[in-house]
Amino acid sequence: MLESIVSYGLAIGAIYALIGITYNVMFTASRVFSFTSGMLGMLGGVFGALFINRLGLPVGVGFVATLAGGALIGIVTEIVTVRPVLKSLDQHLYVLSTLAFALLVQQFTAIEWSTEPQPFPRLLPIGTGLVDQQFWLPVLACAATIIGLELLYRHTLIGRAFLAISEDNYAARALGLPEQKLRMTSFALAGAIGTLAGFAGGEVLLAFFANEPMLNFYGFVPVALGGMGSNRGAVIGGLALGLFQQTANYLVGGIFASVAVFVVFIIVLLVRPEGFAGATTARRV
Amino acid sequence: MPISRRQVLAGSAAGAASLATGLARPAIAASEPIRIGFLPALTGPSSSTGVAINRGTILAIDEINAAGGVAGRKIELISRDTQSDPTKAVNGVAELIGRQKVHFVWGPLNSGEALAATPLIARGGIPQVDSCWVDSLTDVTKYPLAYRNAPTNQQVGGAASHYILDVLKLKKVAVIGDTTGYGTASVEAYVPMVKGKGGDVVYQGEVDASNPDLKPELLRMRDAGAQVIMPWSVNAGFLSRILNTRGQMGWDVPVVGQTTLGSGQTKALLEKPEYWNKVYQNNFRPCSFTSNGKLPPRTVEFVDRLKKAKIEMGDTLLWWIAIGYDAPRMIADAVKAVGSEPKKVGDYWNTLKGWPGVYGDISFTATNHNGYPDDEVVMCEANSFREGAFNLAPGYGA
Repeated sequence: MLESIVSYGLAIGAIYALIGITYNVMFTASRVFSFTSGMLGMLGGVFGALFINRLGLPVGVGFVATLAGGALIGIVTEIVTVRPVLKSLDQHLYVLSTLAFALLVQQFTAIEWSTEPQPFPRLLPIGTGLVDQQFWLPVLACAATIIGLELLYRHTLIGRAFLAISEDNYAARALGLPEQKLRMTSFALAGAIGTLAGFAGGEVLLAFFANEPMLNFYGFVPVALGGMGSNRGAVIGGLALGLFQQTANYLVGGIFASVAVFVVFIIVLLVRPEGFAGATTARRV
Repeated sequence: MPISRRQVLAGSAAGAASLATGLARPAIAASEPIRIGFLPALTGPSSSTGVAINRGTILAIDEINAAGGVAGRKIELISRDTQSDPTKAVNGVAELIGRQKVHFVWGPLNSGEALAATPLIARGGIPQVDSCWVDSLTDVTKYPLAYRNAPTNQQVGGAASHYILDVLKLKKVAVIGDTTGYGTASVEAYVPMVKGKGGDVVYQGEVDASNPDLKPELLRMRDAGAQVIMPWSVNAGFLSRILNTRGQMGWDVPVVGQTTLGSGQTKALLEKPEYWNKVYQNNFRPCSFTSNGKLPPRTVEFVDRLKKAKIEMGDTLLWWIAIGYDAPRMIADAVKAVGSEPKKVGDYWNTLKGWPGVYGDISFTATNHNGYPDDEVVMCEANSFREGAFNLAPGYGA
């Protein structure tokens, strides 16, 4: 039982963590909390099954095409749902516009792809049982993503520009940083990470249009637990959520597992509203 | 008494109105098309049923109209896609009754939508043909013009319970459903049913269909000593996860339950083809292959007609198409007998006995609007699927 809790819990937790990171990457460069993360996760599974199963592309080509598709959707998200809204200063209408776009894409997927879950291909011809690739692929994807983002943010000029924009948008613009291009790049990056979550977790979640609300919801929990904008916090929060959810699945089962998850979520937020890794912000008076 | 111009105009208008609404009505009614408001879910998560039923419905109406219609009146099908959403089903009903002035309503075809829409149809006083299984959808007091041409949940669960307890001779049953209205209602209905027939429900549970790991549930069932799993869900992903987990665990128990267990979507999600062995799902005798590998003669004739019309059967279930084909024909026969006036249609259907549908022989009485016969609800072998139909499960005679 313990092995099953750990293997499945880590796998599903890594998917949640990647969706949480997707939220964060978009938030960091734009201060926009885009509710398209679950959509990107859902599309990762659908694109993977489309390119590999239906179109017969090799796994590697399908993988690259999926991430490229995600990046493109990310750019479209920024242009269609964020940029026009940000022009109306101090209004959080992007919550509605991003959510509406996500629902639009979900319905389109349902009509054009399928309303039933579709099989996702075996990506590698290895591994069965508790060390099956469906368990370690999401964990590997999550580890690669967090390392890659750390390297990007700390050791590259563009990464530092992202951080500068997130720290002080006006100051960064005054220094000549191209805010709009950076925001678009961050949405493209988030698109690739979101679809990576769905692709790596495709064997667990299948290629199913209804994964979107589930990922939107459970992917938000690590962000809230880990602290808004903190990728490390999202990883810790995501893995903790996955393990706890799976433990609740075994111990109480059925619908009570979801109830247990949200009871703990609310308790954690009551005790530590800023999340595990979030810093309390001082309010200027 | 002087008569003003205004009074003359008002009187003329009233006269014209009475002519239009009263005197002219019989002449118009005799020739106007019979409008059937149809509420399939053609898109959305529960649309596979609606898509198939739609094929049968369109075929039947095309055939009736090609043959000259009913007593000289064409049938006009006015479809509104419910998108698997009860709210849209309710909106569709309001439009069909209020604006389109339909004579009959066929559907909605999914239980959640039908639960929301049926009271509204009843309030509109329009005869309704309903094919959903939830028991409460027919009630001669609340919905006096709602007639079901399909089995109830009680009949469906009764067939599964009968197969488990009387044919397979297994007593310890695990009953599981998803957290949808259908799943929870089914578990609530079938647990007492299995117990009432002498079975021992060793495990019962409702699980979120999006939960990717069902191993904990199946371990609990196994530990409780279950000899058979009885799942209730229309979600192919959920059902395939049960079958895959059962296979991975090497747990060789039969799975007996909902029709979707035998769908192509469920099959497509199985990790190995053999995980479909020992899976027996609800089906209907007129749409099942008997032990000699043949369909009943009436169904053979129907299949030939489908082939002639180039209607696809391999990607769906034959009984879905059949029920779609039967409903407009049942309506047409009522109009042929008594016209389209709601009360007369109700009185006519209340005496219907053994109406020969492809899907089943339908009978109603004034106190029972559930028209499907018990003995035509059977269990079939999921892995015997071909051309939309299945072999009867082992234990049924020819």
